[in-house]
Amino acid sequence: MSLFTRTTRELTVRIDEFFDTIEIGILIFKEGIKAYVNGDTNAFQNHLTKIDDLEGKADKLQRAIENDMIVHSILPQQRSEMVKLLWQLDEIIDTAKKSLNEFYVELPHIPASLAHDFISLAEVSGNAAEELMPAARAFFREPHLVREKLIRVYFFERETDKSAFQMKKKVFHEMNDLSLAEKAHIRYITHHIENISDSAQAAADLLASMAIRQML
Amino acid sequence: MIFLFLTSGLFLGWTLGANDAANVFGSAVGSRMVSFTRAAVIASIFVILGAVLQGAGASETLGRLGTVNAMGGSFTVALAAALTVYFMTRAGLPVSTTQAIVGAIIGWNFFTNNAIDTQTLTQIVATWITGPVLGALFAYVLYHLVKITRRRIRTHLLKYESWLRFGLMIAGAFGAYSLGANNIANVMGVFVPSIALETTDFGIFTLTGPQQLFFLGAIAIAAGILTYSRKVMQTVGANLLELSSEAAFVVVLSQALVLFIFSSSALSGLMVKIGLPPIPLVPVSSTQVVVGSVLGIGLYKGVRNINLKVLGGIASGWITTPVAAGVLAFLLLFFVKNLFGIDVGHSFNPPASTGEGISTAMIIRYSIPALLAVTAAYLVYLVLSEKKKTERLNKEYYK
Repeated sequence: MSLFTRTTRELTVRIDEFFDTIEIGILIFKEGIKAYVNGDTNAFQNHLTKIDDLEGKADKLQRAIENDMIVHSILPQQRSEMVKLLWQLDEIIDTAKKSLNEFYVELPHIPASLAHDFISLAEVSGNAAEELMPAARAFFREPHLVREKLIRVYFFERETDKSAFQMKKKVFHEMNDLSLAEKAHIRYITHHIENISDSAQAAADLLASMAIRQML
Repeated sequence: MIFLFLTSGLFLGWTLGANDAANVFGSAVGSRMVSFTRAAVIASIFVILGAVLQGAGASETLGRLGTVNAMGGSFTVALAAALTVYFMTRAGLPVSTTQAIVGAIIGWNFFTNNAIDTQTLTQIVATWITGPVLGALFAYVLYHLVKITRRRIRTHLLKYESWLRFGLMIAGAFGAYSLGANNIANVMGVFVPSIALETTDFGIFTLTGPQQLFFLGAIAIAAGILTYSRKVMQTVGANLLELSSEAAFVVVLSQALVLFIFSSSALSGLMVKIGLPPIPLVPVSSTQVVVGSVLGIGLYKGVRNINLKVLGGIASGWITTPVAAGVLAFLLLFFVKNLFGIDVGHSFNPPASTGEGISTAMIIRYSIPALLAVTAAYLVYLVLSEKKKTERLNKEYYK
């Protein structure tokens, strides 16, 4: 029995640490976008380094959790779903890191009139991912609460879609001073930010079905 | 010589271990919650303990149904039961060791012209029905309790799972103990009246004659578990009973409780003490109790499409198994007695005269062919319906 409890205690700590890492990663992403749009290069560089470290840590934790689950035959019946969920969650921080890297490499030109829209898009897309974490934690302790927590994820995902749509419309319909290349570049960057909430939604769908199965 | 006669019982014990241990640990091993080696060791130890410590009750009841008073008779009765189980399993028909041994004992009663204790028979048959029903009831209540507890304690899923894993092993040990206590009667019950062994003092404990027989039978069951149950456990766990770890725990626990209830003389005595009727100590089919338990969980979850074929299979097993075993026992006893000249038992309690000139010999003369005809007709029906089903499926597939 002590062997079981020791292994599960260690794994529980790892899973919590994994969730913490993703959560901090999302916060860093939001701050990173803010720093870029506001032209604070130093802060942006710091956030980029931090998210890089966090993404690496999340990858390591993901592999360690999967390994523990297989070696100690933990949650054998839900293992494939659990592995998929971990992968989906890791995908969020991966997308956030990639997104910040796109800004670093491609140095997109963000017109001042779009600064607020960009920050708000990153905020709302990040919120969708952030709201996923309490639901993911609840799955392990109170699966009956998962569904109500996921409602906020779906809400923010829809809001992200709306914001992105409005922004793209504004860029292509109203901002005639921008060249087509600039417009296309902004659309591409917007799409990257949107991907975070899409990943959160995919994880939410999986989590919802896992929670239902837990409650049956 | 005794060992030679015991071989059929030991074979029956081996098949019981190979098949029925899967009812105890199948879902746990199939779902990889418990490793096979750990499950097999736990099951073997507790089956032996249950058989030796608590096997007497159910065995006495079988003895009341038919006191097989010659070793040749005991050998043949156990062989008939074992062969029935073997052939019906191969034919894919629902079968239970318990029902096979009861049928074989009745066959012996007919052959040796002994009266059947109808009260005991009624008691036994009643438990065949109440066993699965109780299994379903226990599973329903226990599953409800497990779900409520899970919701109240709000423990981490991983911690909860480690408790379940531990619980599965404890429930499995209890299940194996109850299986040994209840089903050892099927394996060794028929040998108890015919083989009188002296009480042996082992220094720290003593074993009575029947206990020594139960010990041998339990060793055969344990051998069945260790040598042949791996595949059955994995099949049961992965295919037939695809249950969550919570449901697996509940199924094992309810099955253990039902088997324990029908084999605990202390519990039966307690019922009498508080003014209630005693619990009949009767061997029950662990497979049918497991099916009942799974149905109980299905009912809790609100499953509407309960597979009536499974229920029909159980009900048909109540008739086909004892009839087939009885007929086979009768035929085997005839051959063993007349071909080999071995004593298979004698009449000590002839049935009362039926009054209007109908002798037992006449009943046997007409009832055995009738039973044979019924069994044959049923088998033909099963084969034809299976053929029809295959044809229909082929038609649908190739149309």
